[in-house]
Amino acid sequence: MSEMNNERFEDLKDAYVLGALPEEERLSFEEYLVAHPERQAEIDELGAVAGLLAFSPPEQEPSPELRNRVMEVVEAEAEPRRVRERSTLARVGDYLSVPSLALGAAALLVIGLLSWNVLLQGQVEDLQGQVQDSQGQVEDLQAQVEDAQTQQSQTIKLEGSWAEQGATAEVASMEENEIVLVARNMPSVPDDRTCQIWVIKGDVPKPSGLFQPDGNGTATPITNSIKKADVIAVTVEPAGGSEQPTSDPVLLAEL
Amino acid sequence: MAERGRQYLILADEDLISLVEAADAEAFATLYDRHSRAAFSLAYRMMGERQASEDLTQDAFLKVWRGASSYRADRGSVRTWILSIVHNRGIDQIRSQASRRRTQDKVEASAPRSQPSEAFAEAWRNSQRDQVREALNTLPSEQLKILELAYFSGYTHVEISDLLGLPLGTVKGRMRLGLKKIRDYFESRSAAVPR
Repeated sequence: MSEMNNERFEDLKDAYVLGALPEEERLSFEEYLVAHPERQAEIDELGAVAGLLAFSPPEQEPSPELRNRVMEVVEAEAEPRRVRERSTLARVGDYLSVPSLALGAAALLVIGLLSWNVLLQGQVEDLQGQVQDSQGQVEDLQAQVEDAQTQQSQTIKLEGSWAEQGATAEVASMEENEIVLVARNMPSVPDDRTCQIWVIKGDVPKPSGLFQPDGNGTATPITNSIKKADVIAVTVEPAGGSEQPTSDPVLLAEL
Repeated sequence: MAERGRQYLILADEDLISLVEAADAEAFATLYDRHSRAAFSLAYRMMGERQASEDLTQDAFLKVWRGASSYRADRGSVRTWILSIVHNRGIDQIRSQASRRRTQDKVEASAPRSQPSEAFAEAWRNSQRDQVREALNTLPSEQLKILELAYFSGYTHVEISDLLGLPLGTVKGRMRLGLKKIRDYFESRSAAVPR
């Protein structure tokens, strides 16, 4: 097999992200990647493209029995795992009780033991630091959960002539920096027309996404930030969208 | 407990993974309910029959349960991570079979299922799936075939070359062009490749 180098890396990277390299070649490729971490982002990006294939198969419903089987294992393992974590914390507590004993004994012991005690105190401080870090992580997690709850519950409802006809459209935060317009019961538009989302700051509308209404509802990413925006609007535009709105909004929300 | 269950439903996948890492079975169940259908669909596309697909899905989700700490948000979404586990383990299983039974294209119809509280996320995922299918539809059939043989059926580039009677360079070239075309599809719509 040829030695892995930049040229060969380029030659094989597509097969690699598709999982199509023979074992030996794959290992060689990964060794090269470890030695050249600057190429990792490129492989991640290409891997994301290949990973899209995973979304394409026709929908299949797993059986309820599968869920039962998986949850049976998970629930059986959950408590022992929690116990292990608790016992780890208990061991930390045991360590924390050692210094007073060690310090008392140290007064009677030789220099060597004093040195050992210094070492032990260092470990205790490390452990105390770890406990504080753990507490900090728990607090961070709680804050993240609260943030997520807040973000998930933030939706903005759009009003307008289509809403009066029964359409519903809401702007929702899905994830950090990911805002979508979810629309249902929208009137259909001709093939040569499309719905266009606008994020408006002051009197400047920015084109922020296109979608074609259908009976199942749509979720369309809003491609511009809505922070500091004044209005989100939807207009019907020629297919492909417009640089500026060419018709009155059919849906609108003032922020 | 019911109130607590509802709270899990509004948590983002990344938060659920953190809870799974702390051995929270209910958080795991919520993740399972969100992503098991996509995982099973991929498994079924790779394995071609229900029992093997269920085994693969179970295997993958138990890896999620036991290895939640290995998830890295900077490498992609939780959903992509779960599907990559299914894919990698599926490839391993396919390749370890002495007599390979390759993917069957027969599919079973299934009724869509949706939880009201998950409606936004579900609509978003459906939209992603539609976009991906549309992107794949833009590929010439000879490129799509090679991507599918590699990704779903676990053939190596050398095996595909033998199977189709094509030079290895042609197989690699079609892989490259196929992936590029998918990426171009999203870029031409000013949309990021979903991760």
